[in-house]
Amino acid sequence: MTTIERVELDQVPLLARPYFADGDPGPIVRALAQVPELLTVALPFIGAALAPSAIGFRAKEIVIVRTSALAGCRFCVETHAVVALDAGLSPAHVAALRTPGPVPDGLFGDPAEEALLGWVDVVGGGGPVSDEERAAILRHWDHHEIVELTTVVGATLMLNRFATALALPTSPDALERLEKEGLR
Amino acid sequence: MSVETPERPIARAVAEGRMPGRVWMYANYHCNIQCTYCLTESGPKVTQRALSPETMIAVGEQAKELGFTDLGVTGGETFLMPHMPDTLARLADELPVVALTNGTLFSRRLLEKVEPLAERDVALQISLDRPDADVNDEMRAPDNFRKVVAAVPALVERGITVRIATTVESIEDNELDRLCALHRDLGVPDSEHIIRPIVRRGRADTENLGVTAVQSDLPAELTITDDGAFWGPFGPTVHDDRLDTDLLVTRTTLPLETPARALLGLLEGRPDGDDSALNIR
Ligand code: SF4
Repeated sequence: MTTIERVELDQVPLLARPYFADGDPGPIVRALAQVPELLTVALPFIGAALAPSAIGFRAKEIVIVRTSALAGCRFCVETHAVVALDAGLSPAHVAALRTPGPVPDGLFGDPAEEALLGWVDVVGGGGPVSDEERAAILRHWDHHEIVELTTVVGATLMLNRFATALALPTSPDALERLEKEGLR
Repeated sequence: MSVETPERPIARAVAEGRMPGRVWMYANYHCNIQCTYCLTESGPKVTQRALSPETMIAVGEQAKELGFTDLGVTGGETFLMPHMPDTLARLADELPVVALTNGTLFSRRLLEKVEPLAERDVALQISLDRPDADVNDEMRAPDNFRKVVAAVPALVERGITVRIATTVESIEDNELDRLCALHRDLGVPDSEHIIRPIVRRGRADTENLGVTAVQSDLPAELTITDDGAFWGPFGPTVHDDRLDTDLLVTRTTLPLETPARALLGLLEGRPDGDDSALNIR
């Protein structure tokens, strides 16, 4: 397979070194470290967008796994399926998020999460967003939350294309956990 | 009414000695010879990784604007680039220049081309490691010594400033005395002779030669290559045909302010007194 190089651990550029202080930071950082000045601005943004914030861990992982499934990103789906389990989603939730199309009725049981899923499908699926769709999400989420959740979709899509184009490998630990949870 | 002076952090850092004043450029990576200790694994068949003369001139102009004080041009063999005499003259319009060369390509034609550099603030730094041809050539190339001892006086006669660089693992006093007598004979004064260790990077590492140097041992002179900007001219080395990135600062080289500010940030984050004692230059 043709792959795009990621920096070796003995070749980490100076500006990227803080991100490697605790060892191998994973393939996204190792790829971005090829362009250190990009890494040092991209990672704080990605961290702010994807890590828990005013929006909770579970909601963010719903957005990330679902967006990645819509974009067909194997790396992000596999990697974040594990994170989603850690965020309190069940294997059944994760399996539904990973499968584009309607989720089984009542599976999430929370109108806010169901509205969020609808919003992710509209935003992450591409194309125009209607007034009704904006009104539907506004019934359950505040304006600033919608701004943030929409940013999470956008940041995830950027990483989806990055990881897919560069054929980033999923960590063996993540694959093992998915196997154990019956998600492979 | 007071007029605000624009902030010039690079100029201030250079003036206050917090940042080295010289900006280096790797003009190219290929070479007509293949020295045993070459940091860049240079040779006739390697990737050229050449900077265009336009880029080199832009680096020189912007270096001056930012407040740097000197320019350095290295390679590869710099005079394999046909534009080099003109580019050096043009760079010297901006700042004083030192250009490194192995000194083996100075035919009568090239000597004529470099002659105008006598009028400019340009020094040519030529490698000469040993006072005896056979020992010198062992690490460099057959006939290297003969060509260098012919080129140096020819350049000096034309009024060009020549500096001799001696790169060795170690040298006996007696051998060094004879080497110094030789460079004086060739017209190069003691003030223009530098002796430096082999740095264990590139081919020197493959050959198990030289001193291991870490970031703090190496001068933080901003170094521009076709592959990005580095922490000093010992940064963009090549090992096993792959460019080392452990001393890469930024991939962006122009505007020069981008890597210059990033390098200054790295220098400012460095603990006090974290300086080299290895005399690597
Ligand atoms: S050390 Fe200089 S002269 Fe020798 S091979 Fe390398 S670039 Fe060429």
